[in-house]
Amino acid sequence: MTQQVLMALLAVVAGVGASLAYFFGTNLLLDRLAADGRKPDGSYLSRESTRNAIRPWLFVLPALVILGVYLVYPVFETFRLSFFDRTGTEFVGLGNYAWAIDNPEFRMAIRNNLLWLLFVPAMSTAVGLLVATLADRVSWGNVAKSLIFMPMAISFVGASVIWKFVYDYRGPDAQQIGIVNAIVVALGGEPQAWITVPFWNNFLLMIILVWIQTGFAMVILSAALRGVPEETIEAAQIDGAGEVQVFFRIIVPQITSTILVVWTTITIVVLKVFDIVLAMTNGQWGTNVLANSMYNWMFRGGGDFGRGSVIALVIMLAVVPIMVWNIRRFQAEEAMR
Amino acid sequence: MRNAAIRLLLALSLGGLLGSSVLAQNLVFPIGQDARFNWSDLERFEAMDLSAETIQVFGPWTAGDRDLVLSIFAYFEAATGAKIDYAGSDSFEQQIVIDTQAGSPAHVAIFPQPGLAADLASRGSLVPLGDEIREWTLENYAAGQSWVDLGTYADADGNPDFFGFFYKVDLKSLVWYSPDNFADAGYEIPQTMEELIALSEQIVADGDTPWCIGLGSGDATGWPATDWVEDILLRTQPPEVYDGWVDNSIPFNDPRVVNAIEVFGSFAKNDAWVDGGAASVGATDFRDSPAGVFTVPPRCYMHRQASFIPTFFPEGTELGVDADFFYFPAFESEDLGRPVLGAGTLWALTRESAAARVLIDFLTTPLAHELWMAQSGFLTPHLGVNLDAYANDTLRGQGEILQNATTFRFDGSDLMPGAIGAGAFWTGMVNFVSGDSAQSVADAIQRAWDALR
Amino acid sequence: MNRHVPGLRITWGRLLTHVSLLLLVTLWTVPTIGLFVSSLRDKDQLIISGWWTAFSTTERNAFGRTGAANAQVQVGGRYVIEGAFLDDPRRTIVSFGITQADLTAFGPGEAADIDGTSFTLFEDGTYRWVSDEPFSHSAGRRIFYTAAIPPTFSLQNYRDVLSSERIDRAFINTFTVTIPATVIPILIAAFAAYAFAWMKFPGRQWLFALVVGLLVVPLQMSLIPLLRMYNEIGAMFGVPSKTYLGIWLAHTGFGLPLAIYLLRNYIGGLPRDIIESAQLDGASHFEIFIRLILPLSVPALASFAIFQFLWVWNDLLVALVFLGKGDDQIVLTSSLRELLGSRGDNWEILTSGAFISIIVPLLVFFSLQRYFVRGLLAGSVKGG
Repeated sequence: MTQQVLMALLAVVAGVGASLAYFFGTNLLLDRLAADGRKPDGSYLSRESTRNAIRPWLFVLPALVILGVYLVYPVFETFRLSFFDRTGTEFVGLGNYAWAIDNPEFRMAIRNNLLWLLFVPAMSTAVGLLVATLADRVSWGNVAKSLIFMPMAISFVGASVIWKFVYDYRGPDAQQIGIVNAIVVALGGEPQAWITVPFWNNFLLMIILVWIQTGFAMVILSAALRGVPEETIEAAQIDGAGEVQVFFRIIVPQITSTILVVWTTITIVVLKVFDIVLAMTNGQWGTNVLANSMYNWMFRGGGDFGRGSVIALVIMLAVVPIMVWNIRRFQAEEAMR
Repeated sequence: MRNAAIRLLLALSLGGLLGSSVLAQNLVFPIGQDARFNWSDLERFEAMDLSAETIQVFGPWTAGDRDLVLSIFAYFEAATGAKIDYAGSDSFEQQIVIDTQAGSPAHVAIFPQPGLAADLASRGSLVPLGDEIREWTLENYAAGQSWVDLGTYADADGNPDFFGFFYKVDLKSLVWYSPDNFADAGYEIPQTMEELIALSEQIVADGDTPWCIGLGSGDATGWPATDWVEDILLRTQPPEVYDGWVDNSIPFNDPRVVNAIEVFGSFAKNDAWVDGGAASVGATDFRDSPAGVFTVPPRCYMHRQASFIPTFFPEGTELGVDADFFYFPAFESEDLGRPVLGAGTLWALTRESAAARVLIDFLTTPLAHELWMAQSGFLTPHLGVNLDAYANDTLRGQGEILQNATTFRFDGSDLMPGAIGAGAFWTGMVNFVSGDSAQSVADAIQRAWDALR
Repeated sequence: MNRHVPGLRITWGRLLTHVSLLLLVTLWTVPTIGLFVSSLRDKDQLIISGWWTAFSTTERNAFGRTGAANAQVQVGGRYVIEGAFLDDPRRTIVSFGITQADLTAFGPGEAADIDGTSFTLFEDGTYRWVSDEPFSHSAGRRIFYTAAIPPTFSLQNYRDVLSSERIDRAFINTFTVTIPATVIPILIAAFAAYAFAWMKFPGRQWLFALVVGLLVVPLQMSLIPLLRMYNEIGAMFGVPSKTYLGIWLAHTGFGLPLAIYLLRNYIGGLPRDIIESAQLDGASHFEIFIRLILPLSVPALASFAIFQFLWVWNDLLVALVFLGKGDDQIVLTSSLRELLGSRGDNWEILTSGAFISIIVPLLVFFSLQRYFVRGLLAGSVKGG
């Protein structure tokens, strides 16, 4: 056991040390090799421009190499596979794309994904902002924040059990162990098999993701709220603005870009969501989403890489507008500096 | 031939005996003591020395079943000195695809579905077991030919070869009930499907609920209904229809198949017949559903499920006393004999390994079967085993059903292509109990099948 | 800590703040509390009654089976069978009956007549069955009763999980995976984020756009190409393909886009004058980054560290694919998964296992949370 701990420690030190060594090593090397010197005639030679041209690449190189290997290469591989049959050996042209367009399950997944994209980022960001704002005004704010954040720390395996205890359904005569049905029964209603209720069951699954992601939104937005200068708020209050007005007219505009960053990040989480759907319904009762559909086509029943790849590409296509928007924002920011 | 040579080589080296004495205390049944077991089977393996070998086995079993299979491996390890590294995963189905595609599978894989194994064989991911094991299966398993057929698939070049050896069989056509509740209410065990239907009506007339049915199973929700439909199809149509349905030479939306789905609906979509009403069927977890048979007062009287279900009975339920089973009967009017639906796990080589072949060879010995029979949840078509080894009468009774079957058919959904048998079929059944018509779900499944290639 | 806003002195406004926050916090915590309460309950109770009933005495119907004729003893000319139905001394009998239809026929201690014999079930669950004639039944008779079950909590479920053979190894393995898989991407991303925010080089915007685009790559689709590559590299150099280095790099790859995206937004929002004045003093970008930017970015680095840590800690899929399942590599999520049983029963293990696995993430969160609460710099996470 001690040996295992030592091995683990050694591995941790080696792994972290190696990456630190890279950054310090290459930068020192650059400073040494491209150091300022003297020209043959003895005058001062500045190599600053050389260093400035090379240094950015030292900074971004590890990131680019790792991204290239772990994400870009698989994207190209996926693109290639989308034109091949299920085993990836026989070229089928656009056959997989034609199949997708023709497939009702695929169309349903797209519709559901749109619902998710509308609901989850908006709800998570709104509730996250609300909690971040309210928590700053009460003495027990940190406790509240920690509790709201807690779902982020729970694995999907745990989350699916937790929500089973929420949505579980037993026949009307039996004792309910799901809290929603218990409340419904206590109020004199009929218990429902919630996750089978068409259309609305999608929202029940979305609530789980909102529950998890609100903590993320809250943490980031809370930091941004702290950055809002006091003076702007005080000035508005002196002008007689009410609490709500201050919030919407003064605070929100100042943190808009952070709100959008949070929104973008959660949107991307939504596009990739599959664990929740897989664990709760596996897409039955009309709850399928693209990522779950992709996972099933890719790995279930021996796997169909061609069709799985097509769905993966659709998911990636959905992010293009977000990319464009981020580039614009990036450019606008540059221009303002 | 090569196997024989390897065995000879291994037999020449000594040392296996030492290993067995060291490990003996970990064995469930001490070697040589219990007369129910064919201990002599071990001798052949004790003569080998595989102590330098590690065999990786990957299977779907975790927790309880994992411990059971490890208890069998312990004897192999003790005899040969080999080390078996078993890994179990409840996402076996996806994991095996990733592992074989990436080229890093274990030596042996334990498949719950022949359809998946067939698929991997066609991609060249499996190693043929060889004629020796094939011949052995043919001679030593009841209905040997059908087990050989179930383990024979086309390889990457399209040539059929023998890839899968069956070890551990489940019986599906069982109805579980409480003998006391039946006795108290004065119900008799139905011998025909007509009687079963009459009994269900009788129970309703007495103010109770006959059935507990639950299709929930997390990411596999819907599968329990496929067993119902298969069992009913075998009881309403000749086995040839079943075979044609499984390989889709008879379309899924054939009237004969649609009829079977409708018969299932007459049980599951009948509010008076199922506990919680039809609405609860899709949402109730199959693991929770048998509990209704054992509550006081009972929420239902019968539960149709495979031989493994007693694992999920409430703690303290004693098989044979508090719970028992009867054969899900056939229609007298149809004159189709006693069809039986079953399933099983097949063992295949995912990577060539001489030691893994010795392990498969070990699994052909009666001892390897008896050791598990004497524990729990294990049935076998092996004709050479001592039936006294079964741990209890319940298992023995299931073994008899297996032997008395006039027709034995393997779980059809496990044989269909994965996208159907573990996809469209499940979804279809969920939609069916949620209100869709039998015809429309059958049409949808057939469309999904047509879209395969 | 509190921002003092004069408008808040209005009592009803303050009350509203407290009430609505309390409501949100309650909504957010109730599901988790349910899990926590469930994890302390008896595994039989878990699936038959709601967790909120755990605090009150509940009644439960059951049956007991009497001893058979061979258990009878002769006492003063009469035949007696004695025994007990309840194994927990705190449970008590509320009522009993000799048929399921009438569970309340007799109170505890009352004598029921069964075919001329006298059966009594006492409050403590013991019974006494007396007959003048010798008993001859071979199977025990069922007696139906309602028992009162007082609230019972125990740590048994936790003991079950913690005593399983591989759990301690799994903890160490998980740390071995998680720490480098958190630190390495942060380090790499911070350098890259600084370069994207403040350094001039050709193709910068396009590369950053690419990073944003890569955020959405579903990691499932990269598993097989990557694993194939690992196997080829492994075969080429004669090393195993499933190594810790392999999974660190994989987690780094999957975590980098979000790390770069979030950190660039933070670092890009830092005041320009800090960097410019440092440049005027002749500091190189490397020095500026190490001496100025890193210390200023601690809140953002801490926030991301938490997210990456949680992600890696709770990850199952990547670990399943890139790590072996032997003792030296199995991680916590995989070993909990193995405890759960092939068919996913064992709720008691799920509930306690889920709690055991969130202890460490929560500790990390609480130890790092002061960074986002304190807001070290007025600039904070402002994004562009």
